Amino acid sequence: MSSAADADVEQTDRLGTAPGFGEWFRGPWFIAVHTWREGIRKKTLVGFLILSLLTIFGASFMTTSLGAIDPTAQEDLSLKLIKDICVTTIDIFGVLITIFISASVVPTEVENKVIYTVLSKPIRRFQYLLGKFVGVQFIVIVNLVLMGGLFFMALYARERVWPTMLMWSIMLTYFQFLIISAFTFAISCAATSAVLPTIAGLFIYLIGNLTEYLKDVASRLEESTEMMGKLVYYTALALWNVLPNLQQFSIKNQILNAPIGDPPADVFPIRLIAYGLVYAASGMILAYWIFRRKEL
Amino acid sequence: MKSNLLLAALFALSMAVGSMLGRNLTFLRESEAFYRWIIAAATNQRLFQDANPEYQDKPLFERVAAAAEERLPEVPTPDDQAQAKLVRAVAEPQYQWDVWRLATSPALAAERADFLSYARTRSLQFATGIAYAEAQAGGVNIFNLFFGFRKVAANFVWLQVDRFWHQGMMQRMIPMMRTCVALDPHFVEAYLLGAWHVAYNVTASMLPTPPADLRWDPDYKACIGNKERYYYWAIFYLKDGIRNNPRDYRLYFDLGYSIYSNKMKDYANAVKYLQEAVRVPHDRWVPRMLYHALENNGQYEEALAGWQDYQKRFPESLSGTETAPRFIERNKGLIYEKRGNDAAAAAEKATDPAVAAQKRAETKENRDQAREIWKAMDDPYAGARLLRLQALDMREEGRYLEAIGLLDKARWDSADMWEEASNLIMDIKNQANIALSVSEKKALLRRAEAVQDCVGKPAAAEEQTQG
Repeated sequence: MSSAADADVEQTDRLGTAPGFGEWFRGPWFIAVHTWREGIRKKTLVGFLILSLLTIFGASFMTTSLGAIDPTAQEDLSLKLIKDICVTTIDIFGVLITIFISASVVPTEVENKVIYTVLSKPIRRFQYLLGKFVGVQFIVIVNLVLMGGLFFMALYARERVWPTMLMWSIMLTYFQFLIISAFTFAISCAATSAVLPTIAGLFIYLIGNLTEYLKDVASRLEESTEMMGKLVYYTALALWNVLPNLQQFSIKNQILNAPIGDPPADVFPIRLIAYGLVYAASGMILAYWIFRRKEL
Repeated sequence: MKSNLLLAALFALSMAVGSMLGRNLTFLRESEAFYRWIIAAATNQRLFQDANPEYQDKPLFERVAAAAEERLPEVPTPDDQAQAKLVRAVAEPQYQWDVWRLATSPALAAERADFLSYARTRSLQFATGIAYAEAQAGGVNIFNLFFGFRKVAANFVWLQVDRFWHQGMMQRMIPMMRTCVALDPHFVEAYLLGAWHVAYNVTASMLPTPPADLRWDPDYKACIGNKERYYYWAIFYLKDGIRNNPRDYRLYFDLGYSIYSNKMKDYANAVKYLQEAVRVPHDRWVPRMLYHALENNGQYEEALAGWQDYQKRFPESLSGTETAPRFIERNKGLIYEKRGNDAAAAAEKATDPAVAAQKRAETKENRDQAREIWKAMDDPYAGARLLRLQALDMREEGRYLEAIGLLDKARWDSADMWEEASNLIMDIKNQANIALSVSEKKALLRRAEAVQDCVGKPAAAEEQTQG
């Protein structure tokens, strides 16, 4: 009896009328894997990755130029140099990789006309976008893991201590990248080539880090009695409230120096992860909103 | 149309949730800056009491401390410190969550707002090392974006400092070291190595300033010469580091041990900062240096208790099995000697013969017990202490030359005894009218000059002896 019922359900799924939960994710999953495979072959990304790995590797040798001082002090100094250079390298190359990959996955498929073949299959546009976005995240995560892994190895070889706070710091870096990635991806859905979204991505990174400027503008105009002043004040305040503020993630640098059990180091990470996820969701909704109306 | 509306609603909803989370994060970042400032200001209040009237730190901290009195749980009060509850809570790591809750509490909203407003106008001395407060002070600009890169810049500045050192350009190192910690106030190694360079390497070829040449320095509030100026520079540099990184034991340790103990022989301040070093998470050897400083400061009972505790805590380690027992015995011997000296001084002052006799008996008893300990220890220091006790007996018997001979041997046998034995030799020579050597005369002259006020010292000024 039960085997007959199962066969009925399977039949219904094959006809595409009522796909199950797992079935619905199968399409996006294959697209994500394909995006990942395609992404890791991109020469620009590989170039960035090699450069970043060389910088991280090179940071370990920078302190050899330091003169003979107390060995413990030299070791502490070396560790600090390695940490700072590696964190900054991961930040710079990580954001470049994120922007380049997020900006190019959809426009490249439009240019190559691959997208027509994919969308002619029984797959919804949202599933396609989700697959592409997840694929982008695979690439970003793998790049971060490679850079972070080498960084950890360089630290572990010297300290013999697992750098927990650094792990948190890199994880928060990822969620910062997630926001940039989602909005760059949304813009790329409207574009036909990767150039515009790449530039837009760099602007998102810049503007996201300068959102606090709006608060500064608002606080300067708070007392203004002129109509124009009031208008700018309310606009700046509204934008400051709504736009993602990437400076919120600056705590990731501070927790690296935090003492053991430092309350802010415990309080921030979970909230920042939620913040990253919510804005990434906004970016995805915007991407779908744009993409569903796109003529393909 | 319907789906467009649905998507618009979803987008607006997610942005609204993001905005709410963002507001919460902004509040937490403001609170975090406020919390870090509370820690810096409380550390300053407890250890340095620096209060520049140009800044608003003191009045604001007083308001926060007053509000904290009823909001913080009970914090034990040390016997020798009558500090505000907030200051005591900040000193103990187990209260850090209570201080954090206080910094985020709605009750302190007004103080928090004032803190941010003062930070914007650069009216806070102790907010300079706090990233968020600094961003407020500098206005929000493109530099904020690269805040993380400032740390890397600080590292490159340090590499230049190191280059200057190798080139022997010590004077060029000092402004660079300042730049370095201005770029990265959490660069603890720069504070440590910078203070070491200035206090040790820059002053290596300089002679101590004779007391007659010392001049009053209104900034450091001390009588100093050229060489001592570098010591004070290093002290203030490390204090700056402590305010920015109050939970790093290395800064307290270097201030207490490297500067106050080793360079300035100011054991009272050495004890003060080494006690702070052991209060926060520290390496195992830090308490040992504290016990040495306690011993040098004449606090033998505390040093003895410390070594006994150390032995209990690390019974398996080499320092627990070999070093601690030696110093336990050494401090026991010193305690007996101190009691003997006190009794001898009391016997000299006593007018009642019976009391004098009792005090003399007490002196003998304590010195005998000290002798037993020194004999059992059998090391150069113990041998030198034994010689000193013998010399004291001979002095009482009027055998001055023999006493001087024994003390001379004692000071050459153990370097730790050099100053003590030399001073005693001079005292005995003065007592017995024996001619002093040229170096002894100079030493006495320096001692006499040191008690006089230095040039330029205002009548009302008190030298900063509290560190």
